[in-house]
Amino acid sequence: MVTARGLVHAYGERRAVDGVDLALAPGERLALAGPNGAGKSTLLRLVATLLRAQSGSLEVLGEEIPGGTRIARRGIGYLAHDPLVYLDLTARQNLELYGDLYGIDDRDRRIDDLLERVGLLGRAEDTVRTFSRGMAQRLALARMLLHRPRLLLLDEPHASLDARGATLLDDELATATADGRSAIIVTHEVERVARVADRLMVLRAGRVVLDEPTAGLDPMAVRRRYEEVAG
Amino acid sequence: MALVRKDLRLELRTRETIVAMVLFAIVMLAILQFGFGTRDDDLTRFVGGLMWVTLAFTAVLGVGRSYVAEREQRVLDGLLVSPVPRTVMLGAKAIAIFLYMTAVEIVVIPLVGVFFVKGPYWDAIGWIAIAAVLANICIALSGTLFSGLALFTRARDLILPVLFLPALVPVVIAGAGATHAVAGGPHDMSEWRGYCLFLLAYAILFALVSVATYDAVFDD
Repeated sequence: MVTARGLVHAYGERRAVDGVDLALAPGERLALAGPNGAGKSTLLRLVATLLRAQSGSLEVLGEEIPGGTRIARRGIGYLAHDPLVYLDLTARQNLELYGDLYGIDDRDRRIDDLLERVGLLGRAEDTVRTFSRGMAQRLALARMLLHRPRLLLLDEPHASLDARGATLLDDELATATADGRSAIIVTHEVERVARVADRLMVLRAGRVVLDEPTAGLDPMAVRRRYEEVAG
Repeated sequence: MALVRKDLRLELRTRETIVAMVLFAIVMLAILQFGFGTRDDDLTRFVGGLMWVTLAFTAVLGVGRSYVAEREQRVLDGLLVSPVPRTVMLGAKAIAIFLYMTAVEIVVIPLVGVFFVKGPYWDAIGWIAIAAVLANICIALSGTLFSGLALFTRARDLILPVLFLPALVPVVIAGAGATHAVAGGPHDMSEWRGYCLFLLAYAILFALVSVATYDAVFDD
């Protein structure tokens, strides 16, 4: 799903991602943790093709980046800190826009299904400006899932989701393996994500300091392991 | 068309850009009228310049707002992570700017006749409109490119006019020339045609430059 070798991205002189190797298999869910400024979000944005690596190689969904960027983007679902929806459009208009950008055949039916799942069907015709933060992030969850992505890239998803949205996301991640979908979940809530992740990768100062399986481990044990290496 | 529809929906809901552009153009024409036309002087020979300087500054105002929703509502990543080619995004923004400028000109072109022209003018409106359509294509393409470039800079509100206004100089010259050729007297169609061909060539040039550079603007 994702293969990166020696990935480097710097902001000016500072290397936010410094020679990272990463391999993500189909159906695998990776928790990506680390202290603030460790390079987690930058690494996620590199894999999302929103940033271009200054050196190293990157393959996403079988496509070399940057050569196959457009094809890879079809299979990427990206959930960021911000909902990435227009506040002055309705929930439905936002999803229609993204449905058209991804060329979804059954757009209207898919939108109704997703709005129902995220509990926003009754507010479909309301502008996002009238939504609470949690509702807007639930709409963002629907936006991310709209085109049935094979690779989910989530940047601290639990930070802004309300309880309903967080449960929906956990359910989505729990079923991802069975569907062959993979996920990278940037998080500070290591023990929460440990329940659905297969592997924990910890970054510090742009470098990988831990990369090991977490399946079968107690979430608190995963937390302790994280604290040992994250400093 | 989804991106154009989105821009028009946002504009219809907020009515921020077109209303501001039209009001700005009217105020500017009024200021020019007070500045130049308080006596009975015939300003017909200046009408092209007055019209196109007004439209150029109005374009800067409109183009400056072309990515406001994406920037302030932090939606840009959502568009950029989608598989839509950057040139399609450019085209969509350019169409929106083209439509905004057209709306402004529907008001400005007749108003210029009322404010500044003593000779025959109304029979020239169609020819001026054709030149305006060509000029709008130039404004839309160059404006989209420069607003895209300015989007990723901190001093974008300052940088955009500095980049964009010089690019508008040929459009102002040709637009004013084409207007002058047909307004206020006998039509000089040969001169009008020459300026229109220049605008067409400038539009093609900017289309080529935009297509060649827009991926780099957003991906690098």
